[in-house]
Amino acid sequence: MSGLATPAAVDGGRRSRLLRRGGRRRRTPWPLVALFVLPSVAIYALFMIWPFLGTLQLSLHAWDGFAPTKTFVGLGNYVALANDGAFWNGVSHILIWAVVGTIGPIAIGLPLAILLWSGTRFRLAFRAIYFIPVILPVVVIGLVWGWIYNPLFGVLNSILEAVGLGDWTRGWLGDADTALFAILFAAIWATFGFCVVMFLAGLQGIDTNLIDAAKVDGANAWQRTRHVILPGIAPVFTFVLTITLVGAFSVFDIVYVMTRGGPGTATETMAGYAYKMAFGRNFAGYGAAISSVIALVSLLVAILLLRYRERGRD
Amino acid sequence: MADQVMVRERAHPRLRVERVLVAGAKYGFLGFWAALCLLPMLLVFSTAFKDPLVETGNPFQLFSSLRIENIADAWTLGKFGRYFLNTVVIMVPVVLGVIVLSTMTGYALARFDFPGRRLLFWAFVLGLMVPFFSLMIPLYYNLRDYGLLGNPLAVILPSIAGAGGTGLPLGVFLMRAFFLDMPEELADAARVDGCDEIGVFRRIMVPLALPGASALAVLTFLSAWNTFLLPLLYLSGEESRTLATGLLLFTGGRTQELELTAAGTLIMIAPVLLFFLLFQRQFIRGLTSGAVKG
Repeated sequence: MSGLATPAAVDGGRRSRLLRRGGRRRRTPWPLVALFVLPSVAIYALFMIWPFLGTLQLSLHAWDGFAPTKTFVGLGNYVALANDGAFWNGVSHILIWAVVGTIGPIAIGLPLAILLWSGTRFRLAFRAIYFIPVILPVVVIGLVWGWIYNPLFGVLNSILEAVGLGDWTRGWLGDADTALFAILFAAIWATFGFCVVMFLAGLQGIDTNLIDAAKVDGANAWQRTRHVILPGIAPVFTFVLTITLVGAFSVFDIVYVMTRGGPGTATETMAGYAYKMAFGRNFAGYGAAISSVIALVSLLVAILLLRYRERGRD
Repeated sequence: MADQVMVRERAHPRLRVERVLVAGAKYGFLGFWAALCLLPMLLVFSTAFKDPLVETGNPFQLFSSLRIENIADAWTLGKFGRYFLNTVVIMVPVVLGVIVLSTMTGYALARFDFPGRRLLFWAFVLGLMVPFFSLMIPLYYNLRDYGLLGNPLAVILPSIAGAGGTGLPLGVFLMRAFFLDMPEELADAARVDGCDEIGVFRRIMVPLALPGASALAVLTFLSAWNTFLLPLLYLSGEESRTLATGLLLFTGGRTQELELTAAGTLIMIAPVLLFFLLFQRQFIRGLTSGAVKG
């Protein structure tokens, strides 16, 4: 959008904005503001902010979800959490998820995006195909990969047998050693196309003159990537990183569809444990404490990354 | 310069082999991931039309039979027709609500001057970072208290608010950015011609905002169609299942009637794939506008 704007339009926009800010400061009449803002604020407050505050408040209580009164326990839930092995089990899976699930899609998506950008036949077709898994419902992703991993007639085992690696066949989702990584691969499969599209959009914003200048100065392909292309897509990079990292902390749905946290607790995540505690065992307060931890960690990471990005821009 | 040209000419035969190899590696890499994206889709299509009698051997042998009636069976016997309708009943109000409310509030945040404007903007943006898990438990009891559990509104209203991941936080963010980019002169001209503020919004700004709104609509459609946790938690009745929860519970660990599961899957993803083919540009624009511009 902004790339298409003519210099005159950009200049005009800035002038009028300055005028509004400095010269004629005219407050919009409040009934008009209310008409435009209040309906959104009401829905947002009632169904986002209020339950979010409810989580923080509930995490300080013991409650089974039904009793008319909640018992205040202060930070008791959090103390119990710190000593709860099942919680740390979930944390460890999330850490694996955050590392592999972030590096994986970027490591696949960035080279693909650079290849597409540097000139390829069928570029739009490739981009569209990579994007198909991104738009699929998570239920379908879990279902199809469940078929692929199926121990009896799954495609993966058939392929392994066909290439003479019959020893490697197993029930990928039923084996505690492989289940988490099998789910992770399905998740990476469903996200790398998102990275391709984002990186490609970022690459298309790079001034090609810079690349030509680097070529004239004798920079090789690696040097051009390192010193021109990567800095050029830095904002997109932090954006993608924020999305995948924050997503990792609240992973639940794909695990729920594929293994429900099993076998045993081999694939249980923090969010899955919160779900189990709150709705399976009716420890609503304890579940809320786990949810609060997820929220705080997500917000912290998001704010840190966004601040880093702001600083990089100055 | 002359030196370089000479070097290139001398190395030409070797370079050509190298170039073919590089191109082969490049298209091999691109093609491998494209195939990996398409093959699971192929599996769904192939299994959806499988004859149950043929299936018993190897259910995932590609295109060993073609039984169109599977789709009809899934639609009626598998109740996917019902689930389809339930999903539409949720998706339509969510898309309309998000578009109308985001356009108005995004416009107010971009163009109106009122106290608390910046604070309000950040309050909405923060909603993009709040995962659904940090509100799912109290929201359940809130909805129970409002008497909404089991009612489609229990999914519609939180989805509009942004609990499903898109909703108002994304919408307000995108639409505000869109209105900020528009030249104020147009609005001023309309005001000189005697248009009031609502007229400026309706006659000048809304038509100009349609490209942004359509990108938002496509993204909202996708997330409302695919949303899984909200109906799983707040719409437990069998009659109110959506395609996502219906498909999951239909599967329920069974390995029989795979062809009906696949047919149901096809029913669920057909509108999504169709939408994507038709509105690819809006999809990509909606997703990238926030990140690239910053």
